[in-house]
Formats: sequence, structure tokens, C-alpha cells
Amino acid sequence: MSKRASLVAFIVAVVIQILILVAVPARKVFTMATGKTVVLKVQPVDPYSILSGYYATLGFDISRVDAFPNARGMFQGFSDGAWFYAIVEKGDDGTWKPISLEHELPASLPDNRAALLGRINHGAIRYGIEEFYIPEAQRHRIAEDLSRNIDKARVEIKVDRSGHAAIERLRIEDRIYE
Amino acid sequence: MTSDQNMSTKFRAALRNELAIWIQKGIVTEETAKQLSSAYELDNLRHESTRLLSAVIFTIGGLLLGGGLISFVAANWEAIPTPIKLTLLFSALLGFHTVGFWLWHSKNWRRLGHALIFCGCLVFGANIGLVSQIFHISSNWYGGFAAWALGSLVMAWAVRSWIIGVLALGTSFIWFLGFQSDHDQSASFYPLILAIALLPLAWIIRSRVLYAGTLLGIIMAACVLAGYQGSGRQLLFTMAAGGMFMWTLGELHRASEWRMAFANITRALGLGLLAVTAYVWSFHDLWDASVFGPMRSLWAFLFFSLSIAFSLLMWGRARQTQLLLTAGVLLAGGILCASSLLSGASANISNGEFLFTVTTNLAALILAAIIIGVGLIDERRLAFWLGSLYLVLLILSRFLEYETSLLVKSAAFLACGVTVIIAGISYEKYLRRKAAGIEASKGGSGV
Repeated sequence: MSKRASLVAFIVAVVIQILILVAVPARKVFTMATGKTVVLKVQPVDPYSILSGYYATLGFDISRVDAFPNARGMFQGFSDGAWFYAIVEKGDDGTWKPISLEHELPASLPDNRAALLGRINHGAIRYGIEEFYIPEAQRHRIAEDLSRNIDKARVEIKVDRSGHAAIERLRIEDRIYE
Repeated sequence: MTSDQNMSTKFRAALRNELAIWIQKGIVTEETAKQLSSAYELDNLRHESTRLLSAVIFTIGGLLLGGGLISFVAANWEAIPTPIKLTLLFSALLGFHTVGFWLWHSKNWRRLGHALIFCGCLVFGANIGLVSQIFHISSNWYGGFAAWALGSLVMAWAVRSWIIGVLALGTSFIWFLGFQSDHDQSASFYPLILAIALLPLAWIIRSRVLYAGTLLGIIMAACVLAGYQGSGRQLLFTMAAGGMFMWTLGELHRASEWRMAFANITRALGLGLLAVTAYVWSFHDLWDASVFGPMRSLWAFLFFSLSIAFSLLMWGRARQTQLLLTAGVLLAGGILCASSLLSGASANISNGEFLFTVTTNLAALILAAIIIGVGLIDERRLAFWLGSLYLVLLILSRFLEYETSLLVKSAAFLACGVTVIIAGISYEKYLRRKAAGIEASKGGSGV
């Protein structure tokens, strides 16, 4: 290759690497910028393994299919890997509760409702918000806080108009982890 | 020139030493010696070894630097605000790449520049992980490896780098392992993608490691698919066919003189794969435990067909000994493939497990003979010793598997030990006799 061709090929490669790096968080950044704030109550997933490496594994009410009243009749239509929308509604305590599962994204929803895009994974529903990265210095403090106060733990997420969700912060009483 | 003719550095170094003696003895004239020296670029040998050393040092340095950076970022840095974190990540990536390219092209420090660009690709992988952490991205664990593989692949092509190609191979294989466990059938295209993405690069830059590594990656991916899709016996067929494919391809390189430098490593890996396959399946319990599912692996049939095609292509070009060894490999591989297919096709064969255990042991014995044969024909000590040890391992495994008497086992160990020592002494004597014969013929021709 000539020197000029080498330079062009190299620049293209670097630009592609940068584009890949930008693309990795692009969806989350968009959701954070445009989404509606939803607060979810954290459910214990595995009290003996809250931390998986540098991540806390989180579960929610809406992670269980049977938490949705209309799921019993619909569940047979959801095979592993199936996509759908979980409709949640803001409750009196400020946390959002499961209402129904839908195959299609509702055309419009009132302000106190939101639709989250989810996927069946080994019988549970995953929304891409189940893992919360924990900095090394705070690992043990957060793990202990979570295991002692799991019923007070809340996760604030953003949900955009297409149903994609992104974690904003983890809150346990007045302690905030971002 | 030399690389295309597969003239190894070792051969050229020996030739350079011999030339001085030949001139002294009057076997060649100074003029002929100069012509030979020029043809084989013997004057470049010293620079080449220095370049190789510096490449190794710079690459190790690059690896350590990249490892240090990855550890540093993994140890995390929560005190830094997100925008500054992102700025640091992108700056590190651009810094390694830009300085690397500048040293390479402007300062002509090719090796160091190359090592820094490789390091930049490691930083790129670390950055993917860090960006995922910063934004709490929770998706399939293997998704990041796909992004890393894609970025590395593009850079490997841009700077014509074998080591970045190997990085792309490794990261894409990790992605494949995760992806296929979730998606099964749709992962079947991966070996094809690997072949299209990396084999032409290995060919162009003449990288033996990347070429053989990619071929092995293709076969391993097909084996993983066979294991998940079907059964253990389908896996046996795929491994055996893959081994035959690599051996015959290596032999075709040698016979056709197309990229002869690829020949040895390719056929050695093929023979090694066949030997491992035959050894694993030589245990009776494995035949008892596994079942034969429907044969769905198109890759296995492709490997098998290609190995037959390569054998036919080398037929008129290869030496007699090459053809003999290839016939042996095809026989052993064919026995393994046939055992796999027959065990599935005729589940009602009485004592089928026993029969197929015998046939795989027979294939393993043939392979041991071939490995020893390579040691004798090509005068490769390593091959001779590996073949002998493989044979001993096979015999001892059978004794340990079936014979419960300690006395018989100890006798087997003793017999194997004595046999190996006698075989080794005989082999060394054979090499010395051969060397003496060459010396004598040299003396005779000198007179």
C-alpha cells in the first residue's frame, strides 16, 4: 500500500472504532435524555449473590410474568426470547406497579403510565436494567446496604417513547448510588 | 523470494555457515557463493534476527502496557465525573493509535508503532467495557466482544497486522460462544464469516499464525455447533473431518508450493487435532454414554469433501512419502468418520460400542505411526518423540481402563518405558547414520 492509502485506511479504521464506542451507549443516552422517570421497587433476586463481579443483579415486581393480571392467558404466546411491552402505572407510594402485558406498543398512554420493552428470558422478563454497575470502593457498602434494606431499595429509570429503559440511579432511603 | 520458497531462517543460517566451508574446500567458487548469498539474502539474516527480537520485545511491552491500562480502568475511578471519564477514554484510544502510526510511518519505527497500535486495540476493548459500566448497560455479556472484534478486524486490515488479526479472532470466538448458546442455528454462519474476514488477510500478509489460527477457529466453531446441535458422535465426525481438512490443506501447500510457509503449521495442527480426537474417543465409556442425533453439520461434510478434493489436487504433484502419509491420515480420519456415521445409522449393531471402540483405537494407532513417520521422514525429533509418547499414552490408557491387576499395570508401564528408551536410542542412531552418510557422500563428491 502507498503511504497515502495506508493513512486513509488507518483513519477509516480509527473512525470506525470511535463510531462503535459511540454506538455502544447511544441508545441509553437517548433514553436518559428523552425518557420519562419511572421508580421501581427492587425485589431480592438471590440474597446470597447480590453482587456478580462489579454488578448488582436487580429484580423487580415487573420481572415476574405472573405479576401482570392479564399474563395467565397470554403467557403461552410468549416463548423464550419473545419481545413485548409491560405497562406500568404510578402508585400512591411513588413506585410504579405492573398493569398488563401487550404485544404492541400502545399508541398513547396517560402521564401516570409507561410502557417498557421487555423480553422473556428463562421464564423471567428482562428489560436491560437488571444489572447495576458498582464502583470497587463502594462494593461492600452497597452490597450490605442492599441485603439489609432490600425492601426499601428503589431504582429510578428513564423510559423513552419506544419503551427502552435505562438506569438512572439506585436509591436506598436517602442514600443515592449512581 | 525466500519466504515464498519457505526457506526458513534456520536453513539460511546453516547455508551461510556451510558456504564458508564450501569455499574453503573449493566445492563452490567465490562467485557462486556470492550468487547463493544474494539469492537467499544471507546478508539480511543478522538484521532479521534483530528485527524479530525487537518485535517480540515491543509486543510484550505493548501487552504489558495494555494489561496495565485495563487493570487500571477495571480498578475504577468513580471520583472522576462522567464527561472527563469519556474524554480520557477517547484520548487514550486516539493517543495510542496516533503515536503508533506516527512512529511507524514517519519515524520508521515499524515494530514499536505496530505494538502501540495493537495496544490501542486493547484499549478499545477496555473502553467498550468502561462505557458499558458508565451507562449501566445491561445486555448479553458477549455483545461487547462482537464490538471489540469488529473494531479490531477493521484495524487489522488497515495496518496489515497479524497480531491484531489474532485479537479479532479471539474476541469474535468468545462472542460466538455466547451468541450460539442463545441463538443456536443462526450462529452457523460464523465459520464462514471468519473465513471471509481473516483468511484473505493472513494470505496477503503471509502470516502463518493467523492463517492456521483462523482455520483452527473455523473448525472449533463447527465443533461447537455440532456439539450443541446434535450429539457427541456428530462432534467426533466434525473433529475428524476438520483434522483431515487441515492436514490435506497443509500438504497441498507443500506440494503446490503456494505459500509453502503455511504447510507445516497447518498439517501439524490437523494431525494434532486428529490425534486428540482419536484418543478421546478411544475410551469405551464415551461410546456408551453418547448418542447420535441427526447429522446436521454441513461444515463437517464440507471439511470432509474438501480434504478429499485437496488430496486429489496434490496427487500428481506430491512426493511418494507425502502421498503415503496423506493416505494414512485419510485412512485414520476415514475410520473415525465412518465409526461416527455407522454408530448413528445402525443403532442395533450388537456390541456396537465395543466395535467402535476398537475402530477408534485402530485409528489412533495409525495416527501414532504417522506422527512417528513424520519424525523419521522429515527428521523432526519433536514429531518422533510426540508420536512415541502418544503411542505410550494410548497403551497405558487401555491398561488403566480395562486391566485391574496392579501387577499387569506395572508390567505395562515397564514395557512402555523400555520400549520408548530403545526406540529413542534407535532413532538417534538412525539420525547419526544418516548424517554420517551425508558426510561420506560429501567427502566422496569432494574427491
